[in-house]
Amino acid sequence: MTPADTRAEPRGGLPEISLREASRARAAGRSLGRRTWGSVAVLAVAAATVASVAGSEALVNHAGLPQFGSFFEAALSPRLDPSFLVLTAEATATTLAYAVLGTALSLAIGLVGGILASETWWRSGSRGQRRRSRARLAGWAGARAALVMPRGVHEVIWGLFLLSVIGTEPVVAVLAIGIPFGAITAKVFSEILDETARGPYTALLASGARRPAAVAYGLVPPALSDLISYGYYRFECAIRSAAILGLIGAAGLGFQLDLSFAATDYEEMWTFLLALIVLSGAADAWSSVVRGRRSAPRGPAAQAIRAGRAARSAAAARGERSPRRDRVLVASVAVALALVPLSWSWLGLDLSELWSRETWAQLGQVVVDSWPPQLPEGGLGELARLSLVTLAMSVLAMAVAFAGGLALAFPAANLERLGGRGRGTRARRAFRLALAIATRAVLLFLRAIPPPVWALLVLFLFFPGILPGALALGVYTLGVLGRLMAEAAENLDERPLRALRAQGASSAQVFLYGVLPAAFPRFVAFALYRWEVTIRETVVVGVVGAGGLGLLLQRQLASFDYGGVVATVAALILLTLVVDLVSAAMRRSLR
Amino acid sequence: MGRPVFELEDAGVRFGDTEALAGVSVSVESGERVAVIGPSGAGKSSLIRLLNGTLVPDSGRVRVLGEDLAGASARKLRGVQRRLGTIHQQFDLVDQLRVVHNVNAGRLAEWPLWRAAASLASPRETATARQALARVGIADKLYERTATLSGGEQQRVAIARVLVQRPAAILADEPIASLDPARGLEIVRLLCEVSRELGTTLLASLHDVEVALASFHRIVGLREGGVVFDCAPARVSPDAIEALYSIEREGGLA
Repeated sequence: MTPADTRAEPRGGLPEISLREASRARAAGRSLGRRTWGSVAVLAVAAATVASVAGSEALVNHAGLPQFGSFFEAALSPRLDPSFLVLTAEATATTLAYAVLGTALSLAIGLVGGILASETWWRSGSRGQRRRSRARLAGWAGARAALVMPRGVHEVIWGLFLLSVIGTEPVVAVLAIGIPFGAITAKVFSEILDETARGPYTALLASGARRPAAVAYGLVPPALSDLISYGYYRFECAIRSAAILGLIGAAGLGFQLDLSFAATDYEEMWTFLLALIVLSGAADAWSSVVRGRRSAPRGPAAQAIRAGRAARSAAAARGERSPRRDRVLVASVAVALALVPLSWSWLGLDLSELWSRETWAQLGQVVVDSWPPQLPEGGLGELARLSLVTLAMSVLAMAVAFAGGLALAFPAANLERLGGRGRGTRARRAFRLALAIATRAVLLFLRAIPPPVWALLVLFLFFPGILPGALALGVYTLGVLGRLMAEAAENLDERPLRALRAQGASSAQVFLYGVLPAAFPRFVAFALYRWEVTIRETVVVGVVGAGGLGLLLQRQLASFDYGGVVATVAALILLTLVVDLVSAAMRRSLR
Repeated sequence: MGRPVFELEDAGVRFGDTEALAGVSVSVESGERVAVIGPSGAGKSSLIRLLNGTLVPDSGRVRVLGEDLAGASARKLRGVQRRLGTIHQQFDLVDQLRVVHNVNAGRLAEWPLWRAAASLASPRETATARQALARVGIADKLYERTATLSGGEQQRVAIARVLVQRPAAILADEPIASLDPARGLEIVRLLCEVSRELGTTLLASLHDVEVALASFHRIVGLREGGVVFDCAPARVSPDAIEALYSIEREGGLA
């Protein structure tokens, strides 16, 4: 929303008064909501901290310290002989291929599912017959509901489930990424489509076009660049997921990491980790470029835009046409499209496995075994306790990530341009740049290492429980959140900052009065959004033994207790739904 | 009249391939109220930004309050900036802060960092801030969140911020372009009154020619980055205005 939208002053006396009164009432309600939610958040973190410390006699495992140390020592001497580098390159290509195909599948699911789950699709057109509109409402609700289950279940659970049905085939990893990501993408796409102006679409419908044609011509094109930029964000996440799936048996970097860890060969692990950091960093950078091009025209890079607009209007006055296609964007999409068949042939993907008789027989067997659902030992109470443990783990992880993000986001952001152009001594600017690059490298390192690997490392130092799981998830989420926060700080509206600067405020004062108050609500919103992701990821660290529902699930899967799996997954989905609702309510209070 | 407050000598600014200002020479004496008018893209905002030191000229000289801004050190620049109050088209307030902090932002150049930080927790100098808000007619908004104010009220907050700053000169960049005509006229009148009371120089860029002719000592017409005329309102002819805003037709289009 541009400032002009929010600040446009209503003309005429009466509506202005009522509008202002309404906004004042809203503001009062909002500040109350904020305060309440703020206290809730502080209490939740305190409770989670208490829960993580209480109950167990020993937290720290002193015996593991030497191993922890020798792991980081090995960072100085990664294994770099040629044959091993070839193996690393192959594993990297495999991980990349999984990510590419998983993303492609999720985008296909997302586009179809997104249209079907959008209000625009179901609620537009003639509103004549009651029965039809009721049927439409049911269709919309049905599409939305169908997306809940796949979204609530983490990639790793999908992976473990598909492994037991299909066996160790490459298609398992592709599906394990594509199905949950597809459901998430569908939800986001439906929101993007609903936010897109409906004018062209309804105009097409009014002129007699069929709904699919009207969507293709009137709805998707205006939303396309948003859809593409979200697709790239998904790809970035898919790289990390592909690595994690390796740890449960899919080939690629994660699998190699697991083998080296089992053999306690930390030098080999570091080679793989470095490859993962490079791959992850490249994917992040590519995605950043694409998303930056998308958001540039809306963002506050006022100078360049103002200059550009002047140039464009001058060109238009001279009757020239400005170039409309962005070459970098077109090239990015072309490369992405080319990667799909390449990945397919690299993995030797064979879809016939999906239709084989054994697969379906196995699926039938799993379905039969999983009914009726079985509560774990200790019954409903135990399931509730483990749910609370998982919840505490996610809350503590977010506290770690948010505190760290707050400390690292500003050094990582390029704030030099805020409020003044080219001021400050050269040495000082060089120092700031070096600091930003170093901080970004740290954040990249934190998020490139998959949470299960962090968990394995933390488990050297701590006995299983809430704390190691929270720490592992916390440092990983810090890497993700810190980057989002730095980007948000860089994309702040520049004008108020320039106004402060123009009055002679120092950099520190501009930061206090301009940057911090504007950035903080966004940081909280990002953290809440990330909390929804983290509650799902507790499973990933649980699987390697950190505790909570994830650990229970891993044991049930290992003992083919599918009835138990169903009950645990149901508890997980319920938990994620609760977190989603709370997070949404908290984010609403920020607006 | 004494030394000029603002002095541009053959100043030029480029953004990439676009020339925003070229060979502009303007001089404003102390206590003068000058309006800069001209079509969109004429370079009005660039001119204001040159004068408040947030834009560095690519050629020519900028002297403000006796200092050459192009060559000034960061410290000297801040010294000049604390004596300049700027008002912006989009008000450029920090939406998330309460009004009192946005008004106090006018004091930041005077305040040490610790006081600026402490004031965010427990507002300082509220009496001064309240007085300034009373002068612009919205004393009751002191503790409101800025984003909840209407456009006209936000521009009043921006004027209050300039009031507590007690500057030697006020720059206003399209101060009323985001307001409806009635409210815009009120704001310009308020600005002129405030500058008369404080005895400060006022330089404003405006879209609205009528308002400019009615309230200012001098009118500068800007077009395509150059000064077209610079004279008293009485000597600005309707033809000159017409020529200033006319749409030029080049290259084939009829």
